[in-house]
Amino acid sequence: MTTERAVNIVMIEDDEGHARLIEKNIRRAGISNTVHHFLDGTSALHFLYEDPNGPVHNGPSLILLDLNLPDMSGTDILARIKAENSPLKRAPVVVLTTTDDKVEIQRCYDLGCNVYITKPVNYESFADAIKQLGLFLSVIQVPDPEAS
Amino acid sequence: MNSIRQWGLVAERSFARIVVTLVGLGFLAVLVAGIGALLVMLRSEEHTRWVNHTYMVERHVSGIRLSLEEMRSARRGMLLGRAGGAAAYDAARRHLDAEIASAERLTQDNIVQQANVRELRGEANVLDTQYREALRGDETAHLDELARQQTAIRLIALANRMLAEERGLMKDRAEAQQATLRMFYAILGVAGVLLLFVGGASILIIVRYTRDLSHTRDELRALNTNLEGAVRVRTEDLQRANDEIQRFAYIVSHDLRAPLVNVMGFTSELEAALRPLSQLLEQVEATNPALVSADARLAVKEDLPEALGFIRASTQKMDRLINAILRLSREGRRNIAPDDVPLTPLAEGIVDGIRHLVDERGAQITVQPDMPTIFTDRLALEQVVSNLVENALKYLQPSRPGQIAILAEEAAGRIRIRIQDNGRGIDPRDHERIFDLFRRSGVQDQQGEGIGLAHVRTLAYRLGGTIGVTSQLGEGATFTIDLPARYEGDKERLA
Repeated sequence: MTTERAVNIVMIEDDEGHARLIEKNIRRAGISNTVHHFLDGTSALHFLYEDPNGPVHNGPSLILLDLNLPDMSGTDILARIKAENSPLKRAPVVVLTTTDDKVEIQRCYDLGCNVYITKPVNYESFADAIKQLGLFLSVIQVPDPEAS
Repeated sequence: MNSIRQWGLVAERSFARIVVTLVGLGFLAVLVAGIGALLVMLRSEEHTRWVNHTYMVERHVSGIRLSLEEMRSARRGMLLGRAGGAAAYDAARRHLDAEIASAERLTQDNIVQQANVRELRGEANVLDTQYREALRGDETAHLDELARQQTAIRLIALANRMLAEERGLMKDRAEAQQATLRMFYAILGVAGVLLLFVGGASILIIVRYTRDLSHTRDELRALNTNLEGAVRVRTEDLQRANDEIQRFAYIVSHDLRAPLVNVMGFTSELEAALRPLSQLLEQVEATNPALVSADARLAVKEDLPEALGFIRASTQKMDRLINAILRLSREGRRNIAPDDVPLTPLAEGIVDGIRHLVDERGAQITVQPDMPTIFTDRLALEQVVSNLVENALKYLQPSRPGQIAILAEEAAGRIRIRIQDNGRGIDPRDHERIFDLFRRSGVQDQQGEGIGLAHVRTLAYRLGGTIGVTSQLGEGATFTIDLPARYEGDKERLA
């Protein structure tokens, strides 16, 4: 992450255990960026678009998105982020979910998701995957959000 | 449905009975009319005979009168001395006798007429005697003229009486004839009315029956149409229910994975945390053993690793089961791509694929060389057959060399594929159970989760078929897959 401003990581994940495991393993990969964790879609969207510390008003961000949320489908959030006139349409979105349904994967890429990762059930694989994701995150470029 | 058939049967029976009765009545009416006509004809023939008879009698009576007249004129001729008078008289006399004899013969059946004839003959003899006496020229003849005239008058009267008698008889007979005719007309009339009634009733009943029939036919047709609709609706319902179950299985298994990830994840974290703890314990033990209690030692060295091991093993098993459910539900949702699949090459391919296993087990697999071709999903069928063959191979009877046969036959649009083995067999009590998910049968000496046959059954259903097993414990098993020869499609699956 070589941009001037630190990149915020926004994690939308309804399972606290998963969130904790993900954060731990990202940290193990050497990522020290702030991680904002949200348990539901509504508060996540509020943070993304409205919050003064959120990505729209405050610098670049990377979004980790789970598809199974209690209040809305993750694909709806994805569709809003990647919509034509969204200020966040260039923000990288990593879909990180348990679903490995082919149709669902296709749909997410159609909507504009940048990376789709299925959470491995086996913990070792899961930890490896997250660590590798962390390494990956450490090298990708994240654009600034469009001026709103 | 049932009530309509019942009603139809009853109506048909009563209809047949009524029609037969009516036709019988009609025949009876015609028969009565015919017999009546015959009787009347016979009677009128007899009547004609009697009329003729009366005419004959009348003719003879007239003949008698004529003869008397001739006798009288012949006698007058003789009196006047005309030549041939005597011969003419004799001829007239003979003529009179002949006529009387004829009349007597004709009226043999009539006592009154016989008496009249006898009297007539007597009077005729008297008159004859009187005439002949007069002709002999007796002087008394002049005196007897009156008696002669009276005799002649009596004779004429007698003849007239006979005539009247015959006329009377004829009148009676004519009346009888009239009565017969009237009776005939009455019978004819009754028969006619009866026929008219029969005809009318028949037409009425047939019309009503036909109307009922067409009504029933319409009803049946409507029912039939409804039935098709009902079947379609039911099929859609079933389809929907099935899809719902598939979706349910998918969601459940899918959502079960999320907590499982946590359990496994934090178990690993625990294991990782245990490592420095264990190292610390060893260090302390090395430097200052007095600080380490037996309990702490036991907990770190034995209890914690054991507990973690069980948690790990159980979560791994649960993971496999959930994956099995997921796979099943995905199979149920997979799109079927039917194609022409010749069974013999398919079976041979499967056998080739597991050749090493077959050789390892020392078994022998025979594939029927002329199996039919089926139009269905190749992948699904391949999975079904290979699963069953692998099962057969897995559960052989160790005491005898394995013999497995793959057979197929086609009948009435269905193809039955049989996988036959001489393995250890399946207890008949378990024949249903083994197709359930996670259920197994017999000695548990083989690896497996109890998923294979459940998977096979799901696939068989998916292809529009069924699967069954016949087996006795220790005597091998035969699995039979019954599939439609042509897969007819999902009928637009409801997503």
